Amino acid sequence: MQISKIQVGDTLPEISIPITLQRLVMEAGANRDLSLIHHDTKVAQATGAPDAFANTFFLIGMFERLMREWAGPLARIRKIGPLRMMIFNAVGDTVQFKGVVESVDAASGRVSLDMWVESERGKTVTSKAVLELKD
Amino acid sequence: MSEPSWGLWGTWEETEACLGKVVGQSTGPDPVERGSIRRWLEPKEFACDIHTDAESARAAGYDDLIAPASMVFTYGIAPYWSPGDKPAAIDDEPTQIQIPVIFDVPAPCDKSFATSVEVEFFEPLYPGDVVTCTSRLVDIKHKELKVGKGAFLRQEDTYTKQTGEVVAVAYLDIFRFVAVDNA
Repeated sequence: MQISKIQVGDTLPEISIPITLQRLVMEAGANRDLSLIHHDTKVAQATGAPDAFANTFFLIGMFERLMREWAGPLARIRKIGPLRMMIFNAVGDTVQFKGVVESVDAASGRVSLDMWVESERGKTVTSKAVLELKD
Repeated sequence: MSEPSWGLWGTWEETEACLGKVVGQSTGPDPVERGSIRRWLEPKEFACDIHTDAESARAAGYDDLIAPASMVFTYGIAPYWSPGDKPAAIDDEPTQIQIPVIFDVPAPCDKSFATSVEVEFFEPLYPGDVVTCTSRLVDIKHKELKVGKGAFLRQEDTYTKQTGEVVAVAYLDIFRFVAVDNA
């Protein structure tokens, strides 16, 4: 992706991914957040969640994937956040990661994005992000 | 199995005494390497050559393959067990991810959850790099929410590699509280 081809309002190709307990267990082992709420249904439900739910590292990593697949290998990922978690992304949900270009600064090469996660439960997570691109 | 802890108990005066101070530091036990990168990409169905192939990464301007930027969190987490630690017992409290403003900063609260995070990235992570995370408590905001009364604690995490270069700086907002039905 070249910065000269990016316009405010451009949408990033969305990603859909099912949240299964197996995926959460793989994710916890790989990202090392082994808090029980992310892989133990009973503990998660005791905190008011419908089931074990995706952790913050997974959400940030998936936003990185969303940015990387759109911007390509030459983009430098500079910032993710503020990322706000509003609704659980729990076992049984299929979640969509989406994004749109919010601003483009050709001089600095910086592109600001507005990104979010949707599921049957609504808009579950929002995040801003900044990446750097050159022509 | 006992119930997991949701934070270190103490007074608000003890919380205030931690403001501006280093409240935790951890160094990841494993250097960056392609196996841990692959296992991190796998559950996200994330395909990108600069994280798996050195030639592709060089073509993108790097010295070698790089870890995904947001893997910095993972590489900064202390081990859950190390040689010399005592063996686990079945009724031990479960081990949780260490978040210093929950587990090392005292507060008169028995529940907590993360509400917001932001992270800025600087130097890339290459194979062989070792990450240290230094945490400070940088803000305390008292607040009453629907779930209970407590405070937002802001943790600043500075991630450095063995050269001293800063890889990332993250801010984590944690709401610590006493649940409404326990208040």
